Amino acid sequence: MSENGISGINRREFLAMVAAAEGAFILGFWVPPRANAQTAPRAVWYEESATPEINAWIVISPDDTVTIRIAQSELGQGVWTSNAMMVCEELQCDWTKVRPQYASANRDARERAPEWTLKVMGKGATDPKGGGEPGFGNRDRTGVGGIPDSLYRRMRTNAASSVKDGRYYLQLAGAEARERLLLAAAELWSVPVAELTAKDSIITHAPSGRTTTYGQIAGRAARTPHPNPETITIKSPDQWTLMGTERKNLDVPAKVTGSTIYGIDVRVPGMKWAAVKACPVYGGTVKSYKFDAIRQLPGVRSAVQFPIPDPALTRGRIFSGGVAVIADTWYQARTALDRMPIEWEIPPEHAAFSTANMREALVASLDRPGRVRVNQGNVDDAFARAAKVVEATYSTPYLPRARMEPGNATVLVTDNRVDIWIGDQSPQETRFSAAKITGIAEENVYLNLCHLGGGFGRNGNGPQAEQALMIANAHRGTPIHLLWTREEDFIGTTYRAMGMARLKAGLDAEGWPIALEVRTAMQEDGFGPESSFDVASRYHVPNYRFSNHTTKFHVPVGTRRGIGQAAHEFYRESFMNELAHAAGMDPYRYRRELIARTSLPYKDDMIRALDLAAEMSGWGKALPRGTARVIALEERGAETNRMATISAMVHTVSVSREGKVRLERVDVAHDTGFSLVNPLSVKKQIEGQIVWFYNDAMHQANTIKDGHIVENNFNAFKLSRIDENPPDINIRFFKTGHWLLGMGHDRATSVQSAIGDAIFQITGKRFRDLPFGGHDLSWT
Amino acid sequence: MAFDLNVNGTRHTIDADQQTPLLWVIRDHVGLTGTKFSCGIGQCGACTVHVDGQPVRSCSVPAAMAIGKRITTIEGVSPDGNHPIQVAWKEFDTPQCGYCQSGMIMSALALLQRRPNPSDADINTAVTNACRCGTYHRVRQAIHLAADLMKDGRR
Repeated sequence: MSENGISGINRREFLAMVAAAEGAFILGFWVPPRANAQTAPRAVWYEESATPEINAWIVISPDDTVTIRIAQSELGQGVWTSNAMMVCEELQCDWTKVRPQYASANRDARERAPEWTLKVMGKGATDPKGGGEPGFGNRDRTGVGGIPDSLYRRMRTNAASSVKDGRYYLQLAGAEARERLLLAAAELWSVPVAELTAKDSIITHAPSGRTTTYGQIAGRAARTPHPNPETITIKSPDQWTLMGTERKNLDVPAKVTGSTIYGIDVRVPGMKWAAVKACPVYGGTVKSYKFDAIRQLPGVRSAVQFPIPDPALTRGRIFSGGVAVIADTWYQARTALDRMPIEWEIPPEHAAFSTANMREALVASLDRPGRVRVNQGNVDDAFARAAKVVEATYSTPYLPRARMEPGNATVLVTDNRVDIWIGDQSPQETRFSAAKITGIAEENVYLNLCHLGGGFGRNGNGPQAEQALMIANAHRGTPIHLLWTREEDFIGTTYRAMGMARLKAGLDAEGWPIALEVRTAMQEDGFGPESSFDVASRYHVPNYRFSNHTTKFHVPVGTRRGIGQAAHEFYRESFMNELAHAAGMDPYRYRRELIARTSLPYKDDMIRALDLAAEMSGWGKALPRGTARVIALEERGAETNRMATISAMVHTVSVSREGKVRLERVDVAHDTGFSLVNPLSVKKQIEGQIVWFYNDAMHQANTIKDGHIVENNFNAFKLSRIDENPPDINIRFFKTGHWLLGMGHDRATSVQSAIGDAIFQITGKRFRDLPFGGHDLSWT
Repeated sequence: MAFDLNVNGTRHTIDADQQTPLLWVIRDHVGLTGTKFSCGIGQCGACTVHVDGQPVRSCSVPAAMAIGKRITTIEGVSPDGNHPIQVAWKEFDTPQCGYCQSGMIMSALALLQRRPNPSDADINTAVTNACRCGTYHRVRQAIHLAADLMKDGRR
């Protein structure tokens, strides 16, 4: 090993690589300043604009093409389309001329947002004319929550928030540009601006019959400031003409020809490939490795060891140290790495963890006093006078995102600049990591966003960028493309924490709950206790106590789609079904009554969702033996009178006598708030989440053995296929009087509770541990 | 030892070990990146291409097996992105993240070429690709539409 941690590259090779990279630097990176990677035909990729921008979001070319810069990452949720719709609605441009493009993360950090975007207009979540109540989280320099008042306000993609947080200022951006286009035309023609109209990228002066196009006037508009942009207002939903209509996603045509550029597809001149192995047991590091054993293999250039990524850069999570092999092609790097002897240094206390003893620890924690988060009424007294007590313990396993595109990042570090190409839900966080790892000023870190092959939570929250930065920093001058194998992706991802919940209810003589105690158990850094139950049971129970019980595990946990909500809604809705059965009541009517008894501000919307879903499903109509309907309520934010998303679903599930479960039909009643932006994308998201939570219910679990993840590819970690998809999905929307809280991550969680209860109704067997697929579900 | 491959009707001379999986030859030597890597063990189907019209999981077969045969990748489905199967896919706005869709389309196309009017059961048997976004509902509808469009003789 040489001083800089690179082994195996002699000086001549190293200089040759640097020279090649510098050549590329001049050609590809320096002019224009933002890097330009592969230029595949029809590629959706970064371009410098030849014409001046009107504002940071909008560039209009002479041919009327409208480039709209998108500060969120497209990972299949349709944000390139919905964000563009919000701008286009106000800009009044021709939708067929709109071309989305990623906004510059570097510029986002360098420039302050225009003043007119900083004040949210209106009176909050229940004002249709206002901006709603965007939430920007804890904004800080590390980029985790965003950079305060950065140019694009919010350059991350999480919490199903892109539409709800971006809407008011994206509409404003379109409106500001439209006003300036009109001002420019008025000045050109020396007519009052009030006499001009704009529609479909054409400006008309009716009195004289003159017209011009946006493309013709854009250069002038770029030089025409708005005298008082703070007076600009945005359209309310009743004035929308584009927003609220179903629009096909603008990036779909490229996705059916294979021309979309994902992070894995980035090709940079002089680039070498890195395959890595990190210690399979989290917290482990490399004790030794024998590069000499593989250095003669074709294409192999070097090997480099890297430490556990600094937890300060990975939200406190402790991943593993590892070793990378760098070669001309990834296949060469990976096959060589497979043949390289590596010895690990594994913390014995981590190697001692296995699913069985971790489960025991969670169960034990449930019996210890926990952190009481809610304590309403007098739970103990109420239990003492209950006519019946029902108790159940549920569990949910460790679950990863398992997005289809394995973790990857391409990084070029030179002495004063870092370029990164990556599909990333949190680019400012990655820029921060780059600066810390390389010591190069953050303002000289350029991050080029690529589409993601699935995201489901900061692209795994894993350290692919940090690993690539460490490797590339040890190979300054050479662009390094790191790519994980699928097996490595299961090590590099974070997991939703394994969780457990013990629910106990006391029912009165009629079967209504008078006491509820909920205890949840999870590792102490688990993301989950913060959701759902800690606010209140949505259903009316006068005496209610909720506590969290934690223990310490070594598995890094993070923000998987649905976060803790998905597990908690499984616990809650499963238990509601059990209570209804114990009370001998219809689970739909039981829920309806227990919502009606509350004073929650959106209780009418929740009742409406339940009623509509029940009606759609034919609730109460006879079903063949072996088939059952199960209803559930799904909501986020319904306990406030702020933003909320409310839906109810009825799942029709069959179980064959041989024990084969089939989700036959899903009826969805879904809140639109004042209006959805792109109902087509919302439908696709609901359909997709039905599949997501079907997999959680039936198939997916990661277990731990000797401290490492056992299921690490799609042979052992099952993904459902088209044959298991419900043939019948019916979605109906209903309007409510608030802005929507987002819907990209916690819809259709009820597939889990529904399949569990259908199995019970049909087979008489009650299973409370996910997934159900491994159990004997046969019946006679 | 260099060898030749016929990809999308073009002959490419490949300077690589013939045992390199076909996927990596297509992506890194031919330079077509529409075919995707995901599991590497032939499970998920993201890497599906046609070899002499048969769907093949290219991550798990050596390039040697395709020598002298016709390889078709997503880029070779049509010159303009308007093959009926692509038109049908766009009509239903089928992809979400899109990463699995090249393979999904190649599996579906192989089915349609073999069975112009596939039943739902045929689809279940032949299109065994995994999609994490859960686009199956639209994939099925798009395959049926593509069958109709192809019968209309549009391609």
